[in-house]
Amino acid sequence: MKKKTWNTSEDVLRLFQTVGRASLLYDIQDSHSGNMAIRHRDESGNDWIVITSTGSQKGDLEPNNICFLSPAETDFGYYKASSETDIHARILALEGVAASIHAHTKEIAVVTLDDADKPNQPAPFIPVDPLGYYHLSGVVPVDWMAVPSGSPEMAKVIPERLAEHPATVIQAHGTFAKGRTLKEAFFRVCIANNAGYVVRLLKRLKVDVEGLRQRVWDSPQASFSYPPPDYTIDDDDVCDFPGETEILREFQKAGARIFESRLSPFHSGSMSVRGVGSMLYAPKASMPREIGGPLREVPLEVEDGDSPEIQVHKQIYAASDFQTIMHCHVPEAEAQAHFVYPGDDGPLDRIVPIDAEGSFIHLVIPVVPAKTGIAELVRLLHDYKVVVVRGGGVWAVGAQSLSEALHHPSSLREICLYRIGAFEQGLDLRRMEPGKARNW
Amino acid sequence: MSELPWGVHGKILEVDLSSGRIEEAPLDPGQVADYIGGRGLGTRLLYDRIDASCDALCPDNVIVIAAAPLIGTNAPTAGRGHMVFKSALSGGIGSSNCGGTWAPAFKSTGYDALVIRGRAASPVLIDIRPERIEILPAAHIWGKDVHQTTEALQAGEADRRTRVLCIGPAGENRVRFAAVMNDRNRAYGRGGPGAVWGSKNLKAIRVAGQKKIQVKDKERYQSGLEQSFYLLKQAPATKRLLRDLGTAGLVELINLINMLPHRNFLDNRHRDEDVENVSGETLAKKLLQRAAGCYLCPMGCQRHTRVGDKKGEGPEYETMVMIGPDCDIYDLEAITRVNYLCNELGMDTISFGGTLACAMELFERGILQAKDTDGLELRFGRSDLLDELARRIAFRQGIGDRLAEGSYRLARAFGHPEFSMTIKKQEIPAYDPRASFTQALGYMTSPTGACHLKGGYAVSLAFFGGTKEIPRFSLLQSPIGIRNMHNLGIIQDSLGVCRFTGYAFSYDPWARMMSGLTGLDFSTARLEEIANRIAAVERLFNLAAGLTEADDTLPARFSREPILVAGEERVVSTNAVARMRMDYYRARGWDEQGNPTPATLESLAIGKRKSP
Ligand code: SF4
Repeated sequence: MKKKTWNTSEDVLRLFQTVGRASLLYDIQDSHSGNMAIRHRDESGNDWIVITSTGSQKGDLEPNNICFLSPAETDFGYYKASSETDIHARILALEGVAASIHAHTKEIAVVTLDDADKPNQPAPFIPVDPLGYYHLSGVVPVDWMAVPSGSPEMAKVIPERLAEHPATVIQAHGTFAKGRTLKEAFFRVCIANNAGYVVRLLKRLKVDVEGLRQRVWDSPQASFSYPPPDYTIDDDDVCDFPGETEILREFQKAGARIFESRLSPFHSGSMSVRGVGSMLYAPKASMPREIGGPLREVPLEVEDGDSPEIQVHKQIYAASDFQTIMHCHVPEAEAQAHFVYPGDDGPLDRIVPIDAEGSFIHLVIPVVPAKTGIAELVRLLHDYKVVVVRGGGVWAVGAQSLSEALHHPSSLREICLYRIGAFEQGLDLRRMEPGKARNW
Repeated sequence: MSELPWGVHGKILEVDLSSGRIEEAPLDPGQVADYIGGRGLGTRLLYDRIDASCDALCPDNVIVIAAAPLIGTNAPTAGRGHMVFKSALSGGIGSSNCGGTWAPAFKSTGYDALVIRGRAASPVLIDIRPERIEILPAAHIWGKDVHQTTEALQAGEADRRTRVLCIGPAGENRVRFAAVMNDRNRAYGRGGPGAVWGSKNLKAIRVAGQKKIQVKDKERYQSGLEQSFYLLKQAPATKRLLRDLGTAGLVELINLINMLPHRNFLDNRHRDEDVENVSGETLAKKLLQRAAGCYLCPMGCQRHTRVGDKKGEGPEYETMVMIGPDCDIYDLEAITRVNYLCNELGMDTISFGGTLACAMELFERGILQAKDTDGLELRFGRSDLLDELARRIAFRQGIGDRLAEGSYRLARAFGHPEFSMTIKKQEIPAYDPRASFTQALGYMTSPTGACHLKGGYAVSLAFFGGTKEIPRFSLLQSPIGIRNMHNLGIIQDSLGVCRFTGYAFSYDPWARMMSGLTGLDFSTARLEEIANRIAAVERLFNLAAGLTEADDTLPARFSREPILVAGEERVVSTNAVARMRMDYYRARGWDEQGNPTPATLESLAIGKRKSP
């Protein structure tokens, strides 16, 4: 006989609270929207579906907002639990799935709208950014639902979609994602929203999105630098350098800033500080304060089994004196890298700031193709400190500190926002760019 | 490389004071590309011309004064000269940088560097003019102080561009921390260049010229120039603080972060009201007449002050603290007065203060006694003795003769070298190394001995480096952090620009200006490579001079006697010293003894030393 208690453990509560707060920070929920669920086995060996209560504020979850339900039968918990509990329960029943999230991911929701007669089958969403493409298996299904909230229809279709895909979109409503952990599911909704945002930006920049999609679809290898590392689920609490308390704080600060300032979606990107024989490495650079991520100390030499991502860090260090490296997937830069000046026949090869601070800190920021070699990347990093790789994120370096490296993607985001805003208003970017930037 | 880059004249002036020979040698264009000018070029010229094992005060010592390509342009602060020599204090490389107007005047004579060797039979001055270069007798100014000498050599000069570089009595008497001065109060201070001049009977170098240099790619140069001014106007230190408060504005801040030394680095405890007495704010309120700047400097940290009837310059932060709190003295007027005196006598105020602090501790411990000190009660806090001690040191009178050797030789002579707060026999400046590993490692690995500037200006890195700030107590991050800061300093010294520009920016604007000026590739990557090369040559010099890894260490006090930093007891343990030193060597491509490895030498294309 199961013990009917909702006394949540500290760990479960904290997990829901931190992911809930992060989802608000990332602006993929409104005050009360969305829901999160996990499969959970308590200390007595009882299995539960743990899910947020209906109408709860995900940014401020209290213990009594976390409901414990039987996975096998209808129990009283269903009175209080999310109106979409049935959907989550069926997602959680999928093989290998232990968590699910539904979020009001406005960017991908808006970019997947259509004005066709209903009912219809909307086109699936094809990401054109590397995170979206690789982490969302190249395509995100989109479905129209007559009752797009908590309906039996949704409880049927969504688990079917998620049996095949990491995330799926309900038109005009938001994204559902599955995960082995709640953090993985959250990662996926963030990646989906980011992918939608990149496409939205591309449209604002009048980039030929369909042409780009075709190229990505035809040859993802040529479109992106390399596949980002697989999402790991079991190492978020690992810290190999607890004694380096000050550097630890720097990682935590930088990680939180990357996440909160949207310099890279949740748990994407990477950053490192180099020592003499080893480097301290955060493989999930975008880390909300209360969630964190793995912090490793690894040899500077390239080793068997190193991901392409970590190899780039090591190769940059081997060819330079830099002490810190940051790799972020700044969506505004991702989009800007595909911008084609009116009258040109290919995308730009340099981003020229038009804002005051940007234009003095970075006279220009180079944009290079996805397959640019390390030697060229290092050369450009020496001269510019930050480089945008089209289909490969933003690489930035510091001679001393993480904070120094962080400043580059952060100011780059602003630079891109200025340029995108100016272009949208019909302003002539070329006329606005400082003349001296042309030769540098 | 055979073609001469723009920005240089292509000529070195070589003066042999023993023979009286004056020669012109061509500047190897490749050396501009590989060593730039200033510190880099000077170091290479010295390395090729000297037997580094010679006695620093013998005729074989060589002095190189090098200008830099940017000198003569309108780049901010680009007027700093650099002097290298074998140090009278450390026995290793002496490398001293100075603002003022002498270096631009020297470059306008049409030379990029001046090499001086030998010893004149009697006091001389070198006179460099457009129409002639001469070695002239200087008996009439020998014995005069720096101000008197400067006035005497400028008096009656029709050419208003005439500038004088000279020593005072301290240099003549080979005080091991004697300075060489220009513009009356600007010092090539550290490492005892004045003593080396004195040993050569060289009193002064007077220059006047009118040669100009041209910029090759004006647009490129201009983009770097504009960026540099923009950033200088933006950073708090460079836009206002240095002008308003001078470097003494750091006193309160450094105390706040528990780094302000007290009583020969015994501790870091001060009463707030005492610190306030010697702060930059109090200096500005009580004594400051006006702020001013070196050549082309928009920051203007110079303090033109007045105490009673006497006008002069200073004190800067280091002077204030080393003669002040480190000697348990908080008397602003006394510190300022003796600062004036040190300028006139031609002495480095950091080593002066550090040596007095050591002597005071020796006295308090009964190791030095009244019979050794001409009856003076040489206790901490004796501000009334400062002027008298400065004079006795400069003229090597009584206890002054002992003190003129610097604190290491003084403490060793009395059997207690452990009370000398020196590294490579040079006094540690006014930041306690226990309060920051980066500071400690910077001091340890500075090629010239303890120096806040040659040691990477670590304090700026740890506390007001803006985005570049790094942790204070990271064993992992300090070695590369300091290596990189050393490198930036090497480049600034080789470009002839002020260290304080580093508060606003590092390489980028300089890289553009240098590329635009010379027409050569001076990208940031190239500047880093050049810095690594210069650091390796400085190391080779020190190894040849007999210095070893054992000299790259801290006085035992700093690993044994803790101070409180933010509520925690802090030392720099011997293990931390050993690990950071080793990691620093590795970061530089040096072996465990600090020898640049063959691979490093080859990759930096350092090549063999030319025969002296
Ligand atoms: S900041 Fe001070 S030391 Fe530096 S150049 Fe200016 S006045 Fe001279």
